[in-house]
Amino acid sequence: MSSNRLVWTRTSIWLGFLALSALGLGLLPAYGFSLAFWFYLLLWITLASGLNIMAGFTGYLPFGYVAFYGIGAYAAAVTVKMHGLPIWAGFIAAALAGVVLSLMFARTMVLRGIYFSIVSLALAVICRLLIAAMPEDVAGGSYGISLGFSNPDGAYYAMLALMLATLLTVTWLAQSRLGMALRAIRDDPDTAETVGINIGTVRLKAWVLSAVIASMTGAIEAWYTSIVDTETAFNLLVSTKAVIFAVAGGLGTVIGPVVGTVVMLIVDDLIWQHFPVLNVFLLGLVIVLLMMFLPSGIVGSLIRRKPFLRRILF
Amino acid sequence: MMTTLLIQALVTGLILGALYGLIGCSLTIIYGTMRIVNFSHGEFVVAGCFAVLMFFTATGLHPLLSIPLVFVAFFLVGMCLYYLFVPRLNRGDDPEVASFLTFYGVSLMAGAILLYFFQADTRSLNYVFTPSVYKIGHVFIPTAHIVALATGVAIIAALTWFLYRTIYGKALRAAIMNRDAIQIVGVNINTLSALAFGLAIAIAASTGVLLALVFPAFGPFSGMDYTLVGFVVIVLGGLGHPIGAIIGGIVFGIAEQVAIVFLPQSLSQAVGFIILIAAITLRPSGLFGKVALR
Repeated sequence: MSSNRLVWTRTSIWLGFLALSALGLGLLPAYGFSLAFWFYLLLWITLASGLNIMAGFTGYLPFGYVAFYGIGAYAAAVTVKMHGLPIWAGFIAAALAGVVLSLMFARTMVLRGIYFSIVSLALAVICRLLIAAMPEDVAGGSYGISLGFSNPDGAYYAMLALMLATLLTVTWLAQSRLGMALRAIRDDPDTAETVGINIGTVRLKAWVLSAVIASMTGAIEAWYTSIVDTETAFNLLVSTKAVIFAVAGGLGTVIGPVVGTVVMLIVDDLIWQHFPVLNVFLLGLVIVLLMMFLPSGIVGSLIRRKPFLRRILF
Repeated sequence: MMTTLLIQALVTGLILGALYGLIGCSLTIIYGTMRIVNFSHGEFVVAGCFAVLMFFTATGLHPLLSIPLVFVAFFLVGMCLYYLFVPRLNRGDDPEVASFLTFYGVSLMAGAILLYFFQADTRSLNYVFTPSVYKIGHVFIPTAHIVALATGVAIIAALTWFLYRTIYGKALRAAIMNRDAIQIVGVNINTLSALAFGLAIAIAASTGVLLALVFPAFGPFSGMDYTLVGFVVIVLGGLGHPIGAIIGGIVFGIAEQVAIVFLPQSLSQAVGFIILIAAITLRPSGLFGKVALR
C-alpha cells in the first residue's frame, strides 16, 4: 500500500511541476523571449527522453537514432514542399515514416550490445546516403529542401506539445505493465521469457514508440528552420548528444533525461561563453568527469546514494 | 580500360583494407578483453599521422623509422589511459555504455589538443619515394602504397605471431573468450588488460603512420571517421576475433574501392555499410564470430 502511495505522491509532484513549467514555457513567445535556446532545450529533452525509452527501459543503445529524426524531417518536408500539403499532413507523414522505418529495422534487435549499436549506426548512414542520391524532384538531392515558409512560434508550440506528450508517455510507461516487462527483459531476457513475457512484441512497442518520437521531432525542427538537408538531418551528433544527455541524467529514470539535458546545455553554454578557445576540450572533460564520478547519471546516482530521494525522483 | 580500373581498385582496396583491419583489430583487442568501447580510437590513429609528421620535420629521416618510436610512446599513453579510466569504469554496472561516453569525452579532448597544436588546416607528409610509382602491366601503384602494405602486413604477421605463439598473446585471447576463467588460472587481469590497452593504442598510432604515407592529406577532424570504420570492421569480422577484424577490414576496403568504379561517389560510400548489414543478417555473429551473441 505504502509503495502505491509513494508512486502516487512523486507522480503528482512531477506532474504538477510539468504543468507549471508548461505554463511558463507556453508564455515565453508572448513576452517576446528569443526562442532559439528554448526551442532547442525542448527538442533535446524530447530526443533524450525518446531515446531513453529504448536505451533506458530495454537496454538497447541505438547510435543510429538520428535515422528516425532525419526520416521524419524529410517526410514532412517532402509532403509539404513536393506535394503542396499543409504542415499537419507533414506531421502525419513523419509519424508514419517513423513507424515504417522502425518496423524495417526491427529485425536488428536480434543483435545485442555494441553489435546492435553499430548496425543501427550503419543504417543511419545508409539512410543519409540513399536520400542524398535520390533525384532532386523526389527528395531534393544533396542540396536539401527549403520549405519556403517558416513559423518559429508555431514550431515552438508544437515542440512543447510533443515534449509534454513524450514525458507523459514515459511517466506512464515507468508505472505500466509494459514498462515493467521492458525492464525485466533488460535485466534478464531469459527469466522474462520464462514468466511469459513476449520479448519480441514488447520490445517492438518500445522501439516504434521511440522512433515515432524522434521522427516527429525531426518534422518539427524542419518546420522551425524551414530547411532540410542530409548533412544536418542525419548528423550523427544528434544521436550522440541525445545519448549523452540521457546518460548524464540517468538512463531508465523518468526525470533523468530532462535533468541531464538542462544541466548539459547550461554547462555547454557557460563553457562557450567563458572559454571560447578551450570549449571542446572542457566539454570532453565534463563528460569524462561525469562518467567517472556519476556513472549512473545525475538522477540515477542521487537515487542510489540517498534512497529517501525515491520519494520525489524516479 | 574497365579491367584496369577494377584491378587498380582491388589493389587500393586491399591496401586500405589492411590498414582498416589494423584499426579494427586493435579496437577489438580492447573491446574483447575488457568490454570497453574505445570511442577515441580514431583520434590516436590521427595522432599517429601527426607524430610521423613531427618526426619527419624534426629529423628528416625516413618516415618508417618513426614506427618503433611511435609504438613505444603510444604504448605508454595507452597504459596511462587504462589506469586512469578503465578500472573505475569496470566497477560500474554498465561498463559498455559508460565507457562509450567516457571515451567520447576523451575523443573530444584529444581532438581539441590536436587542433590546438596543429591548427585546423590539413597537413601532408612531404616525403617522396623514388621511384614514386610502379607500373605493373597497365596498373599504376604508388610506391607509398606498396611500402604501407608491406609494413601493414609485417605488423599483422607480428601481431598474429604474438597472439597465437606467445604466452602473453594466448592469455590475451583467453581473456577475450572468458574473462572470469582466466583469473582462476592465476592471470592478473588488471596487468593483462593494461598491456592490451597499451598494445591496441600503439597499433592504432602505428597505423596512423602508415595512413599518413597513403593519404596525402590529413587533419585533426578525421578521428571519428576512423573510429566508425574500426567498429564497422570489427562487427563485420566478428567481435572478439582479432584476425577476423583484419579480414573484415580487407572486405570493407575492397568493397569501398570497387564500388567507386561502378557507382556514383555518394552511393559508393554506402556499399561498405550495406555489406555490413547483409553479413550481419546472414551471420548475426559476424564473418568469424562464434560466441558474440549474448
